[in-house]
Amino acid sequence: MSTELPYAADAEVSLSYDELEVLRLQYEREQLQAHVTVQTKFNYAWGLVKSPLREHQVEGVRLLQDLYRSEPTRRRECLYYLALGHYKMGNFEEAKQFNGLLMEKEPTNLQALSLAQLIEKGVTREGYIGMALVGGAAALGTLILAGFIRRATRK
Amino acid sequence: MSSYTPDSFRGEPKRNGRYTLDQINTSTSLAGPSKLQLMHKALMAPFSQRKTDSSSIISDLAPVIMTPRMMNAASTVSSKQPRERIGNSSMSRSRMDFATLGRAPLRLGTRRITSHDLEIVEATEQLLHVEVPEPDGVASNVSLLRGFNATIPSAEQSKSRRRQMRSVDAPHIGLKRLGMNARGLLADEDDHEGQSVTSDDDVVMVPRSDATLRKGKRKGRESLSTAKMLGKDELTRQRKEILRDKENIHIKRSLVNSEIMEITQKIEALDDIRTKLEQDLIKLQEDELELDDELQGVKERLDFEQSSSTRTSQSFQIPHSSRRRKGPAFLPSEHDELPPGVAFMTLDSHTAPLSALDFSEPYGTLVSASLDDSQPIVWDLFSGTESGRLRGHTGTVKCIQVEDTVCVTGSEDSSVRLWDLRRVDADGSDWWGDEGEIVSLSDVAEENSEDDTKPNGIRNGVEKDQKEDAACLRVLEGHTKAVSTLFFEDNCLVTGASDKTLRQWDLTTGQCVMTMDILWAIAHPTSSSLANNLFAGAAASVGTFAVPMPPRADRSWDMYEDYVGGVQFWGYGLVSGSGDGAVRMWDMRTGQAHRTLVGHSAPVTCLQFDEIHIASGSLDKTIRIWDVRTGGVFETLKYDHPVTALQFDTRKVVTATGENGVKIYNRTSMQHSTLLTNGHTSPVERLRYMDRYLVTGGRDSTVKVWSL
Repeated sequence: MSTELPYAADAEVSLSYDELEVLRLQYEREQLQAHVTVQTKFNYAWGLVKSPLREHQVEGVRLLQDLYRSEPTRRRECLYYLALGHYKMGNFEEAKQFNGLLMEKEPTNLQALSLAQLIEKGVTREGYIGMALVGGAAALGTLILAGFIRRATRK
Repeated sequence: MSSYTPDSFRGEPKRNGRYTLDQINTSTSLAGPSKLQLMHKALMAPFSQRKTDSSSIISDLAPVIMTPRMMNAASTVSSKQPRERIGNSSMSRSRMDFATLGRAPLRLGTRRITSHDLEIVEATEQLLHVEVPEPDGVASNVSLLRGFNATIPSAEQSKSRRRQMRSVDAPHIGLKRLGMNARGLLADEDDHEGQSVTSDDDVVMVPRSDATLRKGKRKGRESLSTAKMLGKDELTRQRKEILRDKENIHIKRSLVNSEIMEITQKIEALDDIRTKLEQDLIKLQEDELELDDELQGVKERLDFEQSSSTRTSQSFQIPHSSRRRKGPAFLPSEHDELPPGVAFMTLDSHTAPLSALDFSEPYGTLVSASLDDSQPIVWDLFSGTESGRLRGHTGTVKCIQVEDTVCVTGSEDSSVRLWDLRRVDADGSDWWGDEGEIVSLSDVAEENSEDDTKPNGIRNGVEKDQKEDAACLRVLEGHTKAVSTLFFEDNCLVTGASDKTLRQWDLTTGQCVMTMDILWAIAHPTSSSLANNLFAGAAASVGTFAVPMPPRADRSWDMYEDYVGGVQFWGYGLVSGSGDGAVRMWDMRTGQAHRTLVGHSAPVTCLQFDEIHIASGSLDKTIRIWDVRTGGVFETLKYDHPVTALQFDTRKVVTATGENGVKIYNRTSMQHSTLLTNGHTSPVERLRYMDRYLVTGGRDSTVKVWSL
């Protein structure tokens, strides 16, 4: 069966500060009572992942990992959210792994497929940047070498 | 590759803040060549295939450090080597490697690596291997996202918006002041006009408020709802929103229900754990009681061993009573290997139901008597064989007590005999012992062949007819009817008989020191109210006392004729249980009963007391445990058949109660249990235990030895 999941674009839209505050307060209140419901934890984690701040994203992913560990029934959904969180943070390796696991379970999930594409795009983009950097560094290196040789031959 | 120090590497990123070139420059100048080495290895790391957690982290971090180095290539020479490596590496790897390189500029300006990052990345490895089951239950009904949308604060937005829609521009009534007064607070004097604050959402509203107000003044008050026109679009939108809100409520409800179920399960699990812990507590209490008894036993042993060194040896000494010994007994080590609750030895020389039994110590000497036999058998419990018989009585032996080598028996012939068990040998050899050394050899030869003929018939003919035994030391005469119970300690013996008296004897002289008349005590009670509560048969028991007992488990029953069911004393305090159902406490110095414990509705058949409790068993199928000091009942144990024998300690009460199995009541856990394995085939009549060694005698004429 297909799980209901949000598209990656939804993760780019962040909640307002007030809303996040409310979620955080709810989460902390339940923590004080020593029983945090799954929904509260997820709400807070998802709100954090949607935020543009990296600390929030990191914390959100950590909470999602806790959920993953403690709730076996929710794991499939958490796979997607974890992949999304890592993708947002830039950890494409992990995002790929989680998404891959999800797609094994549900090969026809549209959101998972779209996320896979996004991750690929991100990876290639970084690859291009890396190649550009290496090329630039190589060029710089040859220049300097040429400079040394010239200096040596001059003497 | 050689090892590097991940710690220093991790520490470095934390220290560094924003990655500007200046900062990097300063930091590099501080460190020196060692950092170059590390960086060198870091360069290699992305291109190596090692994929341990920490190395992958380092490889991720490396580009961050590496890139500024590249920009400072003027100061480094090692940059040459990665270039070569790049050329050599295969393209498939290089793409990813470039990705790691490419990541660097993105990361440069944005963030610092924290321990949380590392935590996450480390955890992914572990998480991926965890099983992902099919979602079921609430998880399949309500996805997380739906729940999210249902429970976030913005879900309430539509409701508040609708409420605002319904707020009407009415003339100022001053509701706020009314409300504040109702709460008892002072209202501000200049209450600002309560204007409704509409949201920024488009509000489709046809304002007609002014017109209707003017009209309203003339026509009287109209309903508030006519002041506003909402419009069809707005209303349909509201309807959709309401339906969505209802869905949200449905979702919330299922979430809460699932949480409640989870919590209930957790509570049940915790309850189970709690009951287990409570049982552990009970066990600990039992162990503590056992240790207390052991301590007592050790103390007594200490005294005993100290006194034995100073004691002068005598030819005959009444040993210290074993009835009151609390500590553990000395058992052979093999006894531990016995399975508990099993009868491992059966002695079946008797031919009639057992009437009395007692033993000196575990694996020691047992003396048992049966109904139709006036000669109790002496057994060696170590080997399980007969040692001999005690010859002398002319009627059924009804009570026996054995202490070390001394045995006292009371019988239906109204006499009490004192025996030395060391002098009990197999049939006939007593006679030889009298003749001296000469015939000792022929003893052995002829003993086995001659079972019925007595070789010394010529000399001891008179004594042979009377079947006297050299083992009998004394005969105590005095009672006029059957002696049904006795108890002795040191040199003092108390017997109870069917002539309704208790007699106290001195064993060294063999004389009766005192006679206590129970009928007299009944007629002259110490407190007046007691006489009314006694068992109805008491008054009638002027003649011969005989009461039909309730049937046992095998439906057999007898007439119970023992007026005194049990006696025990300590110091000068004596406790007796008698046929009127009363337990009396006597002072042996005066011979008066100073207290009567009333409660049983049938004759008391067995009795035992220790420092705190008195336990009495009766034909009314109950055992009562009384408080010695106050006389109140601690506990009443109910059984299905009349109780014929009991023995208790701090932790358990072992009783023979008209059934084939021996009943054991655990006093700490208040649980009953039964010993049946290899047990009696008819109701158990008598029992005695010491530490973990129990001897029982039943109507099936057998004596069984159990391990507790």
